[in-house]
Amino acid sequence: MVIDFSSMHEGSNEIERIFEDMFKKGPLGSRRLFPQVNVFENDDGYIVDFCVPGIPIDDIELVLTARNLIIKGERKSPEGRYFRQERLAGSFQRALSLNVPVDLDRVNAKNENGILRVTLPKAELVRPRKINIHSRSGN
Amino acid sequence: MKHSEKKEGTLTPPATDILEMDDGFHVIMDMPGVSADDIVIDIEESELTISGENSYVEPNNSLRRLHIEFTPRRYRRTFSLSDLVDHDNVDADLKDGVLRLYLPKAEAMKPRRIPIS
Repeated sequence: MVIDFSSMHEGSNEIERIFEDMFKKGPLGSRRLFPQVNVFENDDGYIVDFCVPGIPIDDIELVLTARNLIIKGERKSPEGRYFRQERLAGSFQRALSLNVPVDLDRVNAKNENGILRVTLPKAELVRPRKINIHSRSGN
Repeated sequence: MKHSEKKEGTLTPPATDILEMDDGFHVIMDMPGVSADDIVIDIEESELTISGENSYVEPNNSLRRLHIEFTPRRYRRTFSLSDLVDHDNVDADLKDGVLRLYLPKAEAMKPRRIPIS
């Protein structure tokens, strides 16, 4: 697993969420999206679940900037004489844009039974906070 | 492998590869979210049935579901085994949400040299 905090140019953020699906050569891109993704949000941050069965965590690369999360990798198919081949194989890449910046230092990723869960806390400055209003007398 | 009682999620046939290698046949099935405890493999007569309850659970701490592409699933699929396969020595392995069944070739099917007397 590589988490790459490379700097990328920031695109337009007019649209809150954009999913771009870019596939390289191979049968993967033909019909189905891979990997499938679920995105959850609350005031503290995002949780992004990727469905990546059969891909060791070392073969997955996550590239993260303040507002974009990109997953890429390759799912290899074993050598043999195939009677049936339904599982997608090949290189994949998906990108998603987050509508607020996240705290790169506190991002966490773990893979459990082929579900990769990435936890992305929102950057401190964008988290909602309560502002205490003090009334001042004598002004 | 114990049977799980929970019955949540849509019943789905898992995407499957079946291939032959030198050592026998391999059946490879995508069952993301399923742990070994939730998989049942039955061989009855010449029918092989694989079932799995998905243990994928959505995070649940007051999160808004912004975008959903996959949901909890139950998997089931039945195959008929040919006489080519040694029914008594089927082996299974689950890793990263993929179930791999190894079905060795039946002794009778292995290539052998016929001595000429």
